[in-house]
Amino acid sequence: MPSGSAARTSTGVTVSIARDPALVRTVRLVAAAVARRTGRDEEFVEEVRLAVGEACALLVGEVGLDGPVRGTDPVTVAIRIDGELAVDVTSTAPIDVEDPPHSDIDGVEPWALLRGLIDDFTVVQDGVRTKVSMCWPAA
Amino acid sequence: MDLSLDTRHEDGHTIIEVGGEIDVYTAPRLRDKITELVGEGNYHLVIDMEKVDFLDSTGLGVLVGGLKKVRAHNGSMRLICNQERLLKIFRITGLAKVFAIHGSQADALAEH
Repeated sequence: MPSGSAARTSTGVTVSIARDPALVRTVRLVAAAVARRTGRDEEFVEEVRLAVGEACALLVGEVGLDGPVRGTDPVTVAIRIDGELAVDVTSTAPIDVEDPPHSDIDGVEPWALLRGLIDDFTVVQDGVRTKVSMCWPAA
Repeated sequence: MDLSLDTRHEDGHTIIEVGGEIDVYTAPRLRDKITELVGEGNYHLVIDMEKVDFLDSTGLGVLVGGLKKVRAHNGSMRLICNQERLLKIFRITGLAKVFAIHGSQADALAEH
Protein backbone atom coordinates (compact mmCIF):
# COMPACT_ATOMS: atom_id res chain seq x y z
CA MET A 1 0.00 0.00 0.00
CA PRO A 2 1.53 3.35 -0.95
CA SER A 3 2.37 5.59 1.96
CA GLY A 4 -0.58 7.78 2.93
CA SER A 5 -3.14 6.04 0.75
CA ALA A 6 -5.11 4.86 3.79
CA ALA A 7 -5.69 8.48 4.77
CA ARG A 8 -7.78 9.00 1.65
CA THR A 9 -10.26 6.36 2.77
CA SER A 10 -12.95 7.45 5.17
CA THR A 11 -12.90 5.12 8.12
CA GLY A 12 -13.28 5.17 11.85
CA VAL A 13 -13.85 3.44 15.14
CA THR A 14 -16.08 4.31 18.07
CA VAL A 15 -15.30 2.81 21.45
CA SER A 16 -17.41 3.16 24.56
CA ILE A 17 -15.84 2.20 27.88
CA ALA A 18 -17.03 2.06 31.45
CA ARG A 19 -15.55 4.70 33.72
CA ASP A 20 -12.78 2.30 34.65
CA PRO A 21 -9.16 3.53 34.51
CA ALA A 22 -8.01 0.02 33.57
CA LEU A 23 -9.77 0.41 30.22
CA VAL A 24 -8.02 3.61 29.17
CA ARG A 25 -5.11 1.56 27.88
CA THR A 26 -7.47 -0.26 25.52
CA VAL A 27 -8.54 3.06 24.06
CA ARG A 28 -4.89 4.07 23.58
CA LEU A 29 -4.22 0.87 21.66
CA VAL A 30 -7.23 1.46 19.42
CA ALA A 31 -6.23 5.08 18.82
CA ALA A 32 -2.71 4.04 17.85
CA ALA A 33 -4.05 1.42 15.47
CA VAL A 34 -6.30 3.92 13.72
CA ALA A 35 -3.54 6.54 13.62
CA ARG A 36 -1.30 4.05 11.78
CA ARG A 37 -3.94 3.88 9.05
CA THR A 38 -3.03 7.44 8.11
CA GLY A 39 0.35 6.22 6.89
CA ARG A 40 2.13 8.81 9.01
CA ASP A 41 5.24 7.99 11.05
CA GLU A 42 5.46 6.42 14.50
CA GLU A 43 6.14 9.78 16.15
CA PHE A 44 2.70 10.86 14.99
CA VAL A 45 1.15 7.60 16.16
CA GLU A 46 2.74 8.12 19.59
CA GLU A 47 1.38 11.67 19.78
CA VAL A 48 -2.15 10.46 19.02
CA ARG A 49 -1.81 7.61 21.53
CA LEU A 50 -0.69 10.03 24.22
CA ALA A 51 -3.32 12.68 23.47
CA VAL A 52 -6.25 10.28 23.24
CA GLY A 53 -5.12 8.46 26.37
CA GLU A 54 -4.75 11.74 28.21
CA ALA A 55 -8.18 13.01 27.19
CA CYS A 56 -9.77 9.70 28.06
CA ALA A 57 -7.99 9.56 31.42
CA LEU A 58 -9.18 13.05 32.30
CA LEU A 59 -12.79 12.12 31.57
CA VAL A 60 -12.61 8.73 33.23
CA GLY A 61 -10.89 9.98 36.39
CA GLU A 62 -8.73 8.06 38.77
CA VAL A 63 -10.21 5.20 40.72
CA GLY A 64 -10.73 5.80 44.41
CA LEU A 65 -10.47 9.56 44.20
CA ASP A 66 -13.07 12.20 44.71
CA GLY A 67 -11.64 14.02 41.75
CA PRO A 68 -13.42 16.22 39.26
CA VAL A 69 -15.03 13.32 37.45
CA ARG A 70 -17.52 10.98 38.98
CA GLY A 71 -20.42 9.07 37.59
CA THR A 72 -21.34 5.79 36.03
CA ASP A 73 -22.05 6.67 32.43
CA PRO A 74 -19.53 5.42 29.88
CA VAL A 75 -16.92 7.50 28.13
CA THR A 76 -17.20 7.36 24.36
CA VAL A 77 -14.23 7.81 22.04
CA ALA A 78 -14.94 8.34 18.35
CA ILE A 79 -11.92 8.25 16.03
CA ARG A 80 -12.37 9.08 12.34
CA ILE A 81 -10.13 9.44 9.34
CA ASP A 82 -11.70 11.52 6.63
CA GLY A 83 -9.06 13.76 5.16
CA GLU A 84 -7.94 14.39 8.73
CA LEU A 85 -7.72 12.37 11.91
CA ALA A 86 -10.44 13.59 14.24
CA VAL A 87 -11.08 12.32 17.76
CA ASP A 88 -14.01 13.15 20.03
CA VAL A 89 -13.96 11.97 23.63
CA THR A 90 -17.35 12.43 25.27
CA SER A 91 -18.56 12.02 28.81
CA THR A 92 -21.85 12.86 30.48
CA ALA A 93 -20.13 13.38 33.80
CA PRO A 94 -19.32 16.95 34.83
CA ILE A 95 -15.64 17.78 34.76
CA ASP A 96 -13.52 20.80 35.57
CA VAL A 97 -12.13 22.14 32.31
CA GLU A 98 -10.22 25.11 33.60
CA ASP A 99 -7.21 23.63 35.39
CA PRO A 100 -7.65 23.71 39.13
CA PRO A 101 -5.29 21.07 40.46
CA HIS A 102 -7.38 18.43 42.17
CA SER A 103 -6.40 16.18 45.01
CA ASP A 104 -3.91 14.02 43.15
CA ILE A 105 -2.56 16.00 40.22
CA ASP A 106 -0.96 18.31 42.68
CA GLY A 107 1.05 20.96 40.89
CA VAL A 108 0.30 19.62 37.40
CA GLU A 109 -2.38 21.33 35.40
CA PRO A 110 -4.53 18.48 34.14
CA TRP A 111 -5.14 20.02 30.73
CA ALA A 112 -1.65 21.41 30.20
CA LEU A 113 -0.35 18.31 28.47
CA LEU A 114 -3.18 18.24 25.94
CA ARG A 115 -2.87 21.94 25.25
CA GLY A 116 0.84 21.50 24.68
CA LEU A 117 0.43 18.48 22.45
CA ILE A 118 -2.25 19.63 20.05
CA ASP A 119 -2.93 22.85 18.23
CA ASP A 120 -6.43 21.84 17.21
CA PHE A 121 -8.00 21.03 20.55
CA THR A 122 -11.30 22.13 22.09
CA VAL A 123 -13.33 21.30 25.17
CA VAL A 124 -17.07 21.94 25.00
CA GLN A 125 -19.55 21.61 27.83
CA ASP A 126 -23.24 21.97 27.09
CA GLY A 127 -24.57 21.34 30.57
CA VAL A 128 -25.23 17.68 29.88
CA ARG A 129 -21.93 16.40 28.59
CA THR A 130 -18.28 17.25 28.13
CA LYS A 131 -16.69 16.72 24.73
CA VAL A 132 -12.97 16.92 24.05
CA SER A 133 -12.27 17.26 20.34
CA MET A 134 -8.84 16.85 18.75
CA CYS A 135 -7.78 16.95 15.14
CA TRP A 136 -4.61 16.28 13.14
CA PRO A 137 -3.80 16.39 9.44
CA ALA A 138 -4.02 12.83 8.15
CA ALA A 139 -1.15 13.06 5.73
CA MET B 1 1.93 -3.63 29.66
CA ASP B 2 1.48 -3.35 33.39
CA LEU B 3 3.63 -1.35 35.77
CA SER B 4 6.73 -2.88 37.36
CA LEU B 5 8.49 -1.38 40.36
CA ASP B 6 11.87 -2.65 41.54
CA THR B 7 13.55 -0.96 44.47
CA ARG B 8 17.14 -1.06 45.68
CA HIS B 9 19.46 1.09 47.77
CA GLU B 10 22.78 2.46 46.56
CA ASP B 11 25.12 5.22 47.73
CA GLY B 12 22.60 6.65 50.16
CA HIS B 13 19.86 6.77 47.54
CA THR B 14 16.82 4.63 47.00
CA ILE B 15 16.44 3.72 43.35
CA ILE B 16 13.03 2.81 41.98
CA GLU B 17 13.30 1.18 38.57
CA VAL B 18 9.96 1.71 36.89
CA GLY B 19 8.87 -0.29 33.88
CA GLY B 20 5.75 -0.32 31.74
CA GLU B 21 3.02 2.29 31.66
CA ILE B 22 2.45 5.01 34.24
CA ASP B 23 -1.11 6.07 33.60
CA VAL B 24 -4.40 6.82 35.30
CA TYR B 25 -4.74 3.14 36.24
CA THR B 26 -1.22 2.29 37.39
CA ALA B 27 0.04 5.61 38.79
CA PRO B 28 -1.54 5.01 42.23
CA ARG B 29 0.83 2.03 42.67
CA LEU B 30 3.84 4.27 42.08
CA ARG B 31 2.39 6.85 44.47
CA ASP B 32 1.91 4.16 47.12
CA LYS B 33 5.48 2.93 46.65
CA ILE B 34 6.90 6.45 47.04
CA THR B 35 4.71 7.07 50.08
CA GLU B 36 5.87 3.79 51.59
CA LEU B 37 9.56 4.55 51.01
CA VAL B 38 9.31 8.06 52.38
CA GLY B 39 7.40 6.70 55.36
CA GLU B 40 10.31 4.36 56.02
CA GLY B 41 12.72 7.28 56.07
CA ASN B 42 14.05 7.11 52.49
CA TYR B 43 14.25 10.76 51.52
CA HIS B 44 16.66 10.62 48.58
CA LEU B 45 14.90 8.93 45.70
CA VAL B 46 16.04 8.18 42.17
CA ILE B 47 13.27 7.23 39.76
CA ASP B 48 14.71 5.28 36.83
CA MET B 49 12.27 5.67 33.93
CA GLU B 50 14.35 4.02 31.22
CA LYS B 51 11.89 1.14 30.91
CA VAL B 52 8.78 3.31 31.03
CA ASP B 53 6.68 2.92 27.90
CA PHE B 54 4.00 5.51 28.63
CA LEU B 55 3.47 8.47 30.95
CA ASP B 56 0.38 10.64 31.34
CA SER B 57 -0.50 13.61 33.55
CA THR B 58 -1.63 11.35 36.37
CA GLY B 59 1.87 9.90 36.44
CA LEU B 60 3.36 13.38 36.35
CA GLY B 61 1.16 14.30 39.30
CA VAL B 62 2.45 11.36 41.27
CA LEU B 63 6.05 12.38 40.55
CA VAL B 64 5.35 15.97 41.61
CA GLY B 65 3.65 14.69 44.75
CA GLY B 66 6.68 12.53 45.48
CA LEU B 67 9.02 15.46 45.01
CA LYS B 68 7.03 17.47 47.52
CA LYS B 69 7.10 14.59 49.99
CA VAL B 70 10.89 14.21 49.94
CA ARG B 71 11.50 17.96 49.97
CA ALA B 72 9.42 18.17 53.12
CA HIS B 73 12.19 16.10 54.69
CA ASN B 74 15.00 18.03 53.00
CA GLY B 75 15.35 15.12 50.61
CA SER B 76 15.68 14.88 46.85
CA MET B 77 14.14 13.17 43.87
CA ARG B 78 16.12 12.64 40.68
CA LEU B 79 14.77 11.17 37.49
CA ILE B 80 16.61 9.05 34.96
CA CYS B 81 15.19 9.40 31.50
CA ASN B 82 16.72 9.29 28.02
CA GLN B 83 13.58 8.76 26.02
CA GLU B 84 12.70 11.75 23.89
CA ARG B 85 8.97 10.98 23.94
CA LEU B 86 9.00 11.18 27.75
CA LEU B 87 11.31 14.19 27.88
CA LYS B 88 8.88 15.97 25.55
CA ILE B 89 6.12 15.47 28.11
CA PHE B 90 8.24 17.03 30.84
CA ARG B 91 9.07 19.99 28.58
CA ILE B 92 5.45 20.56 27.50
CA THR B 93 4.24 20.69 31.08
CA GLY B 94 7.13 22.83 32.30
CA LEU B 95 8.30 20.07 34.62
CA ALA B 96 11.68 19.71 32.91
CA LYS B 97 12.67 22.74 34.99
CA VAL B 98 11.25 21.27 38.17
CA PHE B 99 12.92 17.87 38.15
CA ALA B 100 16.60 16.99 37.98
CA ILE B 101 16.60 14.69 34.95
CA HIS B 102 19.69 12.58 34.30
CA GLY B 103 20.76 10.35 31.47
CA SER B 104 21.98 7.43 33.57
CA GLN B 105 22.02 6.04 37.08
CA ALA B 106 25.71 6.88 37.31
CA ASP B 107 25.01 10.53 36.53
CA ALA B 108 22.09 10.67 38.93
CA LEU B 109 24.10 9.17 41.77
CA ALA B 110 27.18 11.25 41.02
CA GLU B 111 25.43 14.59 41.52
CA HIS B 112 25.45 15.94 45.02
